[in-house]
Amino acid sequence: MAGILVVAEHFDGALRDITQEMIGAAAALKEDLGGPLAVLVIGDDTGALADTANRAGVDEVVTVAASDPHFDPALYEEAACAVAEARQARLVLVGHTAAGMAFGPAVAARLGSGFASDVFGLALQGGELVASRGGYGGKVAMDLAFPGKPVVVLTLRGATFKAAEEPGGAAVVPFAIEAESLAGTGRHIDYLPAPPADVDIGKAEFILSVGRALGEDTNLPQFAALAERLGATLGCSRPVADSGWLPKAHQVGQSGTIAANCSLYLALGISGAVQHLAGMKHVDTIIAVNTDPEAPIFNVAHHGACVDIFELAEALEREFN
Amino acid sequence: METRELFWEITSLGHTLFFVVAGAAMAVAAAGVGWHVWRYARARRSPVPVHPWRGFWRMIFDVGSQRTVHRRDRAAGHAHTPIMYGFLLLLAATSIITVEYDISEPFFGFTFWHGTFYLVFSLIADLAGLGLIAGCVYMMWRRWKLRPAKLAYRRDYRGETEERPRARAWLRDDALFLWALLLIALTGFLQEGVRLAMDQPAWGAWSPVGWVLAQIFLGLGMDEAAAAAVRRANWWIHGIAALAFIAAIPWTKAKHLIAVLGSLSTRDASALRRLPMPRPESAGAAAAVDGNDAEPEVGFGSIAQFSWKDLLNLDACTKCGRCHEACPATASGAPLSPRDLILDLRTHAARSAFRPGEDAGLSLIGDVIEAETLWSCRSCGACMEICPVGIEHPPMIVQMRRRLVEDGTMEQQLRDTLDMIANRGNSFGESPRTRAGWTAALEFPVKDIREETADHLWFVGDYASYDPRNQEVSRTVARLFRVAGLDFGLLHEAERTAGNDVRRVGEEGLFESLAEHNLGAMAEAKQFDAIVTTDPHSYNTIRNEYPDFGDVAPIRHYTSVLAELLESGRLTVTKPLGRRVTLHDPCHLGRLNGHYDEPRRVLELIGCELVDMPRCRDNSFCCGAGGGRIWMPDPVGKEKPAENRMHEAASLGNLDAFVVCCPKDMTMFEDARKTSGHESDFVVQDLAELVAEAIDLKSIDLKEVPALVDRIADAAAARIADAVAERLADRLADAVADRVAQDLSERAPALAAAAPQPAPQPAEGEGPAPEAGSEVPAADAGPWRPAPVSAATLPPYEVPAKDGPRVLVAVKRVGELNADFVIDEEARTIADEHFEHELNEWDEAALEEALLLTEKLGAGEVVAVTIGPEDAEDTLRRALAKGAHRGVRVWDETLRDADPVTVARVLAGVAEQEAPDIIMTGAQSADLGHGATGSALARVLGVPHAAVVLGIDWDGGETMTVTRELEGGMRQQLALPAPALLTIQTGGNTPRYATMRMIKQAKKKPVAVVDGAGVGLDQAGAVVRRLYEPPKSGRAAMIEGDAAAVAAAIAGIIREKRGEA
Repeated sequence: MAGILVVAEHFDGALRDITQEMIGAAAALKEDLGGPLAVLVIGDDTGALADTANRAGVDEVVTVAASDPHFDPALYEEAACAVAEARQARLVLVGHTAAGMAFGPAVAARLGSGFASDVFGLALQGGELVASRGGYGGKVAMDLAFPGKPVVVLTLRGATFKAAEEPGGAAVVPFAIEAESLAGTGRHIDYLPAPPADVDIGKAEFILSVGRALGEDTNLPQFAALAERLGATLGCSRPVADSGWLPKAHQVGQSGTIAANCSLYLALGISGAVQHLAGMKHVDTIIAVNTDPEAPIFNVAHHGACVDIFELAEALEREFN
Repeated sequence: METRELFWEITSLGHTLFFVVAGAAMAVAAAGVGWHVWRYARARRSPVPVHPWRGFWRMIFDVGSQRTVHRRDRAAGHAHTPIMYGFLLLLAATSIITVEYDISEPFFGFTFWHGTFYLVFSLIADLAGLGLIAGCVYMMWRRWKLRPAKLAYRRDYRGETEERPRARAWLRDDALFLWALLLIALTGFLQEGVRLAMDQPAWGAWSPVGWVLAQIFLGLGMDEAAAAAVRRANWWIHGIAALAFIAAIPWTKAKHLIAVLGSLSTRDASALRRLPMPRPESAGAAAAVDGNDAEPEVGFGSIAQFSWKDLLNLDACTKCGRCHEACPATASGAPLSPRDLILDLRTHAARSAFRPGEDAGLSLIGDVIEAETLWSCRSCGACMEICPVGIEHPPMIVQMRRRLVEDGTMEQQLRDTLDMIANRGNSFGESPRTRAGWTAALEFPVKDIREETADHLWFVGDYASYDPRNQEVSRTVARLFRVAGLDFGLLHEAERTAGNDVRRVGEEGLFESLAEHNLGAMAEAKQFDAIVTTDPHSYNTIRNEYPDFGDVAPIRHYTSVLAELLESGRLTVTKPLGRRVTLHDPCHLGRLNGHYDEPRRVLELIGCELVDMPRCRDNSFCCGAGGGRIWMPDPVGKEKPAENRMHEAASLGNLDAFVVCCPKDMTMFEDARKTSGHESDFVVQDLAELVAEAIDLKSIDLKEVPALVDRIADAAAARIADAVAERLADRLADAVADRVAQDLSERAPALAAAAPQPAPQPAEGEGPAPEAGSEVPAADAGPWRPAPVSAATLPPYEVPAKDGPRVLVAVKRVGELNADFVIDEEARTIADEHFEHELNEWDEAALEEALLLTEKLGAGEVVAVTIGPEDAEDTLRRALAKGAHRGVRVWDETLRDADPVTVARVLAGVAEQEAPDIIMTGAQSADLGHGATGSALARVLGVPHAAVVLGIDWDGGETMTVTRELEGGMRQQLALPAPALLTIQTGGNTPRYATMRMIKQAKKKPVAVVDGAGVGLDQAGAVVRRLYEPPKSGRAAMIEGDAAAVAAAIAGIIREKRGEA
C-alpha cells in the first residue's frame, strides 16, 4: 500500500485551479510520504484534461470514462473508491469545493478511512501524516493525525497550496468501473449562469467590500455612495449577498468571485470567513476595518483598524469631499 | 315683565314643523351616540382594568380648567376656552328655556324665565355668544392665516406633495365645524338684534350685543317691516342651523365633545410605563397547542381586536396636532405621525363598523397602517403625554408590533438582536460571563450579590455593562458609591437584559422570560434592601412591569441616589464646577416616571448653571433609541432625532456640557454630536462624571476608603475638631487628627484582607473541541482494505405512522468562541465556558427549506434530529418553535467530540427508524465547518444526494429538481429521485423568526431522547495532535485613533496607491 491519489475536478472543459493545487501539494508530500502519485480524471472526454493534469511529480494519470462532462457525486465516489483500492492509495486528496464536499466525505465513509476536511496544511511529522485545519471562524487551528488508518481522505482548501506548474511525463491509464452500481442517482439538467450584474469583481482594481456589520440593507446606500466617491467597485461578503442586499455578482470569495485583478482592497465590517479570504487574500494592499480586534481578516490584511464602520464611512466621505 | 316671546309669529304649522325637525335632529344625534356605544359594547374588553369613576373628577377638572388644551399652545387654549364655555352656556340657556316651555309651564303652570333671572340670563347668554364668536374667529385666523405646521395634513414626513383624499375630507370637517358654530352664534345675535329693534324693551341693554345691533339697525333706518321679515326668516335659519349641529355631533369633529368625557375619564397615566399583558382572550394560544386548531391571537392584527377604550380614544381625536409636533419620529422624517396613525385607525374602525364593504379587503397592518410606520415609534410617550383628550397611542402601536413579531415581519438587525438576547441575555451578543468585566479596572473589589449580602443590588443593564463609553460611566458611578460608602453588589452573569425595550418591540414572550429570569436571579441572590440602576429603561420595567411577575425590591435611579448622597454629605463637593450645562431628560426617567427634579438637584449641588433646552421635562425630545429603535438602523440621509436634539442644545450658546443620565442617551448623543457638527461646541457627559469632578474623585484613594460607619464618625470627629480648634488650642486638634490617622492605620490590615480574592479557577469543562489524541490507542496502519461504515444501531423509539412525506432535518447546536477564549494546549481542549451556543445557521436554512417544502405540499411532517446533551434541547426547541413537528435527540458521552463520519452513522441510525422521504442537513456547521456530515450520511444510507443546495422543487412524486450552488455564482440544476439527501446552503431562503412564546409552546411538542449506544467508542477518523491559535505572522499594522484619524490614514494609503500622494 502506498501512494497518493488526487481526484481531479474540472468544469467546462478545463481543470479547476484546485486540481493543480492538489497535485502541487501531493508532489511536495510525495518525497516524504512515498509515491506513486496518481491523478484521477473522470469525464466523457478526458484527453485534454489528462494532459493538463500531467504535471511534474505525477506518476500516473488514471482516466475513468463518463457519459457526460458534468459532475456526478455517485460516479466520482465510485471511481475514487475503486481506483484507491486498486492502487492501495495511502492518501486520497479531494478539493474542498461544492463538488468535493458532495463526494469526498462519502468516499471516507465507504473506505472507513481517516478523514479531515478543509485542510490548509499537510506535513509528515515523525513518519505520521498530519493535516492542519481551522475551526470557529479561523480563530483556532488544529493538527490532526490518523493513527491506525491505512488510508486517509482529505479535502483541501482552495487557493492555499502552491499549484503544480511544470509539465510531467506520466502515463495515462484508462480504468474501468462497474457503472450499474450507479443506477438511480442524480441527473444533470442544466447550468444556470450567475445573474448578470453591473459589476465585475474579477476585473476591478480597487474594491470596497462591506460585510455583516452593515446590519441592514438600508445602510447600503451610504457605502455605495462612498465606493463611488472613492472610485471603487462595491463588493461584499457572503452574508450580505445571502440576505439579498446586494446581487450575488458583488460577492467576493470562493462561492462568489475571486478579486483576480484587484490591487487595493478595503474590507469594512468583514470578519474574514475562510471562503471570503479565498477570494481576496492575494491582493497587494488590503485594509481591514472591524470592531473585533480578533477578526481573522486582520491576519491577511496589511493595514487594520478597530473603529465603527459607519463613523469611518462618514469620515472617509469627508476626507474625499 | 322682563321676558321674550319664543315663537314670535310662528304659525301652528310652523310650530309643529319646528318640533318635528327638533325631534328628528335629536333622534339623529341619539342614533349616532347609540351607534358608537354599540360599537364599544361589541369591542374587546380593555386589557387593563379601567376605573372611569376614579378618573371622572380628574376629567371634570381637566375639562373645566382646560388644562390640557392650554399646554404648549396657550393661544389655542385661550381660544378654545370661550368656545367651549360659550357653547356650554348657550346649550344650557336653550335647555333652560326648553325646561320652562316644554315641562314646567305646560305640566305645572310654573314659569321662571322672566324678571331678574331673565335679565341675568340674557346678559350671560350674550357674553357666551360673544366668546364663542371671538374664539371661532381666532381659530379661523389661526387655521387659515397663521397655518401652524401641526395643522397641515399633508404627509411631508413621508415625502408626499399633496393631501390624501381623506385628509381633504378632514379639512372640510374642520371648516364645517368652525363655520357652523360661527353661523349659529351670528344668526342668534342677528335674531336678538332685530327683535330688540322691533320691541325696544326697557331692559334691552341686558342683551348688550343684541342691543348694540338693534341701535345700528335703527340708525341705518331699518323699518319695522324689514326687521320683521329678517326676524321671521332668520328664526328658521338659526333654529335649523343649531338643530343640524346637534344632529351632527356624533358624526363629525364635534363628536369629541362627548368622546372626550370618556377618554379623559379612562385615561391611564401608566399606560406606557406598564404595558398591557397579552389580553386574557388570547388564551387561544394555549388552546392551539392542546389540539384545538384556533390560531393563537397575539397582538392586534385586525381592528376587531382593539378594545372599547382604544376605539373611544380614536373617536376623541380632535386632530389638534400636538402629538404630531412632539413626535421624534415625525420630526426626523420617519414614516410615522401619531396623529395620522390615530386618524387612519379611526377611519378604518368606522368604516369596518358602518360600511364593512369598503375596507373589507384591507389588512390592518400593511394596508391601513404600514409595518414601517409601526417600527418607527420610539415609545417615548411624547404623544400620549401631550394629547389633550387622553389618547394612548404607544400601547396600540406595541399591540400591533406584537403581531408583526409573531409573524416574523421585522428588520434583520432587530431579529438578530432578539436572537442574541434570547441566546446570550444581552443585546451586544457578548458573552454573559463578561457582563461584569467593566469592574476589573476598578481599584477595589465589587461584591457578587450571589455570594454576599449588600444594601443595594446594582442592576447594571446592557449598555452600562458592555458599551465601552458607558463602562467608563459605570466605573465612575461605582467609585462614587465607594466613596459615599454605599454598599452594593452585582448579579454578574445572572443578570440579563431587563427587557423594557424587548417588550416595546413587541416580543412579549422574550420579555416575560427575561423578567422571570431576572426576578429568579434576584430571589436567589443574598439579601439586599433595594435595587439601584443607572439605566432608566431597566428602572422603568423593573419598577412598573416586573411586579406583574413577582415580588420586586424597591428600585432607585442613580440620579436620586446621587442627589441624596450629596445632600446628606456622604459625598462632599470640594470643587464646585461653575459650568454652564444643559440636561436631557431621559424619556423613561422623566416623562414615564416623573423624575425631573433629581438630576437637576444634583446639578445645582455641584455648582452647575443649568440652562434648560426649549424642549425639556415632559416635553423632552427623545434621543431616538427607545422602543427598540437602537436595534434598528435609521434611514440614511435623514436627520436623526439625536442630531435634531444637538442643534437644539447648541442653540443655547456657550454650553460646556450636554448632560445625560441614561446609557443609551450617552451612546446616541455621543454619536450625534459628531455627526451633527457640534463636536467643538460642547461635550456629552454623564451626570456622574460631573459629580466625580466636583468631589475631586481623582484625589481620593479608593483603596483606602473606610467603611461608612467610620466615615460618619470621622466626619463628626472632624467637625468637633474644627470647633475645638477654633475655640481652644491647636494642640487638641492635632490630637484628634493623630487619633484619626492612627485609626486609619489600624484599619489598614482589615482593608487589605478585603482585597479582591483571586478569581476562582474555572471548572474544567469539556469543550466541543476534538478529543485528546492520547486517549486513542495508537495503532499501526493495518492492511489496506475498505471498511465501509454502517448505520449505528440505536435503541428503538416510538415513531408515529407516516402521514404524508416525512422530512428529516439534522440540526446542530454550535459553539461560538468568546473574544477572550483560552486554549488549553496541554489538554487540547477549550473549556466550555468560552463558548456561546446557538443553532447552526446552515441548519436553520435547511429547516426553513424543509418547512417551506411541507407547507407547499400541504402535507407531511418535519422531524428535527440533533446529537447533543440536554443543553442542546434548546436548539431542538427552537427548531420545533419554527414549525418542526417532532424532535429526536441522541446522546451519550462517547458522542461529545464525534467526527463527521461518526455523526453520520448516528444520524443514519435515526433515519433507519424514521424512513424519511427527504433528509436535509446544513451544508456545513459554523463551528468546525467540516462540510462533510451530509454526504457521509448519504453514503451510509446509500441514498442519492446533492450538496450545497439552494432550492428544491418537489411535488411529492418520484423525482425532485434541486438547484446547487457552484463556485463563482454559477448554479446547477439536477433531477434527483426520492428519497434523497440534500445539504442546504444559506441564502436560498430567509429563516423564519421564532418568538419566545412559540419556543415555550414548543415544549409541548414531542421529543424522543435516544441513547447513543456507545457509537462514539470506535470512532477515530482523526485525532488531534495539537490545538493552537493560528500564527499571526501576516498580522495587519493597526491604525490607532478614532474614526477620523483612521479615515485620514486610509485616505493616505488610497491616495498613495493611486499615485496621488
